[in-house]
Amino acid sequence: MTATREIVTDQRDQFAFHDDIAYLKETKRGLTRATVEEISAFKEEPDWMLQYRLRAYDHFLKRAMPTWTDGLDKIDFDNIVYYRKPSEREEKSWDDVPDQIKATFEKLGIPEAERKFLAGVGAQYDSEVVYHSVKEELTNIGVVFMGTDQALKEYPDIFRKYFGTIVPPEDNKFAALNAAVWSGGSFVYVPKGVEVPLPLQAYFRINGENTGQFERTLIVVDEDAKVHYIEGCTAPIYATESLHVAVVEVVALPRSKVRYTTIQNWSNDVYNLVTKRAHAHANSTVEWIDANTGSRKTVKFPAIYLRGEGATADIISVAVAGKGQHQDTGAKAIHLAPNTRSRIVSKSVSKDGGRATYRGQLKVAPGATNVVASVRCDALMLDDISRSDTYPYIDIQEDDTTMSHEATVGKVSADQVFYLMSRGLTENEATNLIVQGFLEVFTKELPMEYAIEFNRLVKMEMEGSLG
Amino acid sequence: MTVEGGRPRLARRALDDLSLPIDATAVEAAGAGDPAWLVADRRAAFAAWEVLPGESNQLYTPYIDLRAAQLAETAFVVGSSATPGAMALDADEDALIQTSDDGSVRIALSEAALAAGVTVIPLRAAADSLRARLDGGGALPADDKFAQLTRALWSHGAVVDVPAGVRLERPIVVRWMVGTAGQALVTRTLIHLGAGADAAIVEELTPSAGATGAGATGATGRPASQAFFAGTSEVVLDAGATLRMASLQELPDTVVAIQHRRAEIGDDASIHWAMAQLGGRLVRSRVDNRLVGDRSSVEQVEIVFGSDTQVFDLTSYTTHIGRDTTGDLLSKGALLEASRASFKGLITIDKTAVGTDSFLGEFGMNLSKQARSVAIPSLEIDQPDCRRAMHSSSVGPVDETQLFYLESRGIPEDEARKFIVLGFLEPVVARVPLAAAQDHLRELLEAKWAAGTDGVAGEAAA
Repeated sequence: MTATREIVTDQRDQFAFHDDIAYLKETKRGLTRATVEEISAFKEEPDWMLQYRLRAYDHFLKRAMPTWTDGLDKIDFDNIVYYRKPSEREEKSWDDVPDQIKATFEKLGIPEAERKFLAGVGAQYDSEVVYHSVKEELTNIGVVFMGTDQALKEYPDIFRKYFGTIVPPEDNKFAALNAAVWSGGSFVYVPKGVEVPLPLQAYFRINGENTGQFERTLIVVDEDAKVHYIEGCTAPIYATESLHVAVVEVVALPRSKVRYTTIQNWSNDVYNLVTKRAHAHANSTVEWIDANTGSRKTVKFPAIYLRGEGATADIISVAVAGKGQHQDTGAKAIHLAPNTRSRIVSKSVSKDGGRATYRGQLKVAPGATNVVASVRCDALMLDDISRSDTYPYIDIQEDDTTMSHEATVGKVSADQVFYLMSRGLTENEATNLIVQGFLEVFTKELPMEYAIEFNRLVKMEMEGSLG
Repeated sequence: MTVEGGRPRLARRALDDLSLPIDATAVEAAGAGDPAWLVADRRAAFAAWEVLPGESNQLYTPYIDLRAAQLAETAFVVGSSATPGAMALDADEDALIQTSDDGSVRIALSEAALAAGVTVIPLRAAADSLRARLDGGGALPADDKFAQLTRALWSHGAVVDVPAGVRLERPIVVRWMVGTAGQALVTRTLIHLGAGADAAIVEELTPSAGATGAGATGATGRPASQAFFAGTSEVVLDAGATLRMASLQELPDTVVAIQHRRAEIGDDASIHWAMAQLGGRLVRSRVDNRLVGDRSSVEQVEIVFGSDTQVFDLTSYTTHIGRDTTGDLLSKGALLEASRASFKGLITIDKTAVGTDSFLGEFGMNLSKQARSVAIPSLEIDQPDCRRAMHSSSVGPVDETQLFYLESRGIPEDEARKFIVLGFLEPVVARVPLAAAQDHLRELLEAKWAAGTDGVAGEAAA
């Protein structure tokens, strides 16, 4: 294609930057018991947290590397810096953030976003939350939104009550790694009956070659409360491996409603291995809205355990796999209580030799009567050097479950492209439009400026393959 | 089994352990009298058996559980060189080969089949002439532990060969009779249809004269000792050949059965599988359909009707390789009492397979709160230029609307429920290419329904 219009210009450069930051504190490369002790000591943590980290570290060493997905053996755990602290303390306002870091955020557009309407901003720069502002409004209604490290100090009771209860360190090798070296992340507590009127958002970035990012997010939504949490990720592009191992725990207490939206756009050298899980108690609703466009390899299956009667789970998972990428993503709905409902919708696009894998689990445990569940997976392949896999696991142990599952794989229809080209679009634009339409089930769930940003990311991804 | 605190407890065992006593001696005994190359092949298979995991596909490792097998006391039936006996052929069959776990083999062939040059013989005697299909493992998957077990230890087998252009009017019956406590019968069946040939085969897995335990209809006491059966269908279809292949499995509930089926399907050839799994204590089955030829097709329908504590572990692999190939696979399970079924399916569309149409459906009906059904319908796709690539799966109770409709027509609820469940399984019955076998299968399903719902009625009354 010669007639590439601006709509498909590669804007990747805007996100591919690297700032030289003087880190105030960093651990030596590699992971030992001493590294874990050093992190905990530096953070001046209570002894229970140190013991917790050490227990997790022991389990990490013992636990075998998963073999059901490939490529994880390329991670060089000895060549990763597990903790870096870029600035002195949690900043209270934008003005206090160091200029160089501020410049990075300017490129990401956070201040504008905040000025527009966002309720709170927690931006993570490498391993520590450096900038954090919560509008008075939120503080007034009792909502806690802060860095996870800070929450450990300021809200020790509620922190300890829930931390690690949704994803224990023994859950999997990477949950153990995160529990051993975690740093940063967001903590949200919404008190009983409070509806947070605006989305809470946190931007995460990885900077610094071979810096691991091991944030830990804990969201507790009390009875009858409601919140929407958004995280978006961008990262500079580097040649060598980077590692992102996060754990997200969500507790939705009775009759609460939680929506957690993620746009993941790590640079294409990052291993993104994330354990995300929510417990949905009686009559609560949990929604994971999850998109993965970046990283070299993402392994992430947002899960909802429907523990209370009448709980509802809704998961929308979107993945775009380009050259050299493997998006091993999906969703899990585990029905443990009667009259629970779940819906999983997955959309994936693979191109330029990329591989998109849907891996999901739907389980109805004995005792979970009258469950209604549905799974829908659609995959679009843009060329024949790419690959698309679908691996759903459906395990039903009750006699009155209503479950349906459907999956299709296909290519962009030549008829549709031809029609759009007859209307004056280039082939690029036409394909682009069709892909965006295919992913609309996701974009329509996003706040407007996120939808715009996401469509821009998809266009950037598309640019690599066409023209 | 150990007893602790007065309660019997199963010994701890790996989930993928079949508990069969297999050693080099057993392999040598199985191969006594074989040509040297075949003895070497058995040894190679035994070496593979020793190192392979019970489930080599990482996708399915979380769902393997063979602990229902209690085969430590089992002895392998050894082949004999005795000439097969003759037996009478039913009027609606063209050929029959029957092998029992007492080692006896009987064969019958119609005049028409003889005249057309159809071959139906025991495999053992013909091994040398089939070396190309046996040596090196042939159609048995190299990464499958239990396929390698069959390759190492087979003692009996059948060969069915239909020459090019021959169209058989009536089906060929391949019957295996097993279930004698403590006996393990390991077999292979090699099937070949020449170009343009057209045939139907009915495989029957039935209780032998010495069988203990209840038949497929189930519902008697716990058996004292188990029996083992391993069997294969290694099918090669030349260009334009058509094979309708039915399998009726009504083994006693003391039998642990391992099955491997593989079809290599040539240009314009097609295979139609219809499989009914009713009996057995633990059944692990794997089907590999390889659509090698352009415009080749497979239609596969499989039903499971489980009761008591039966375990069915069924895997189907469909690989599209040629251009414009078609795959249409349907698995259905109706599960009574504490029975369990896993339907694992994988459609693979290779880069060469332009114009594929592939569908995989896995549907379950849990008829009791203790029943468990697992479906893993997977897709691996390297070629997007296809007519269709999809799977679909559902699990649901008996449809209340259908029930209401039937009841409004004056049919009592129990009867209506039976109609709906048996109707759900009917697609396989309708595809059995032998009227007598069809009727027999319907009777078995009805009897099993009657036996299995006694418990349900009792539950409701309590």
